[in-house]
Amino acid sequence: MLPTMDSLDDDAGLMLRYKAGDAAAFSALYAAYKGPLYRYLLRHVRNAGAASDLFQEVWSRLVATRARYEPRAKFATFLFHIAHNCAVDFFRRDVNLRTEIPAHEHHEPLLEPEVPEHQRPDKVAEFAEQQSALLAAVAALPQEQREAFLLREETGLSVEEIARVMDVPVETTKSRLRYAVRKLKKSLSPMQESEMLPLRTYA
Amino acid sequence: MPEKRLPDELDEYLRGDSAVSREYRRESAPAPPHALDRLVLKLALRSAKSKARLGSQSLAPLAFAASVLLSVALVLAIVFGPQAARRSDDKPHVLKVAAQVSPRERNPAVWLEDISALRRAGRDSEADIEMRRFRSAYPDYLIPVSE
Repeated sequence: MLPTMDSLDDDAGLMLRYKAGDAAAFSALYAAYKGPLYRYLLRHVRNAGAASDLFQEVWSRLVATRARYEPRAKFATFLFHIAHNCAVDFFRRDVNLRTEIPAHEHHEPLLEPEVPEHQRPDKVAEFAEQQSALLAAVAALPQEQREAFLLREETGLSVEEIARVMDVPVETTKSRLRYAVRKLKKSLSPMQESEMLPLRTYA
Repeated sequence: MPEKRLPDELDEYLRGDSAVSREYRRESAPAPPHALDRLVLKLALRSAKSKARLGSQSLAPLAFAASVLLSVALVLAIVFGPQAARRSDDKPHVLKVAAQVSPRERNPAVWLEDISALRRAGRDSEADIEMRRFRSAYPDYLIPVSE
């Protein structure tokens, strides 16, 4: 989650300052959003190399279009709309079937096959995390449900804002989130469920 | 009924009370590699610097110079332009001193009329001088019989 979700108007203000040439304002924005944006991309496209490329592309687009920036919505909505468009482009041009194999059926790190693993240790480490049941289930979600879930978890945006980012009606977004949550709940291991049961019973 | 449970599931999730959200927050939080950080920040800094440079180099001097040039051009056009030439042409031809006009710039028919006007005014010597100049300027021009 973003640490400064309650100060999104401030973020729009930072973007306006950057638009006027204030590099420090960009650094503040970058520090706040780099983690959520990176995780959104990484867990959405499920490929560390592609996530890094898209991450750079998103910020590049933001820099390139800053002169036209107008704070019509939360900054997070603006940034993640760019990210959504980049991801859509990625999925459109990507023909690598490996990226579409659900992670729970795939026991090897999801790396591009032509690149030796030993050359990309950071990416191996990143994908080691996907061995957890929940993240494997997230990776296995249909693309639209996965994106809606990741946007909610990583940005804390409302359903309406997520709908705006994804360019779909609010009801469609709700539906995607419902299905995603239901599937992810089922994916939680029985042990985790039993661990949580006393909390629910005695709380 | 599943249809009735769905809104509750979503509401619970949106409130942040869902086990799914709790589990997700327990997961590791990978961040972009430092090399990527440096790349993006460098790009943004470079862009901001170019913006700042543009801002400091005000366009006001350039605009001032352009307006001065435009004003000068406008004054020159008014003083020496076609309108000014037309005003000077309004004067009677007979009063013009023919020698002030370059022979190559004169219309032969108008020049001959001026010579005739000089003769009608009794200024024959001037008319003869003008006729010689005319001949040298237009040696092949067929002069009407009256001349």
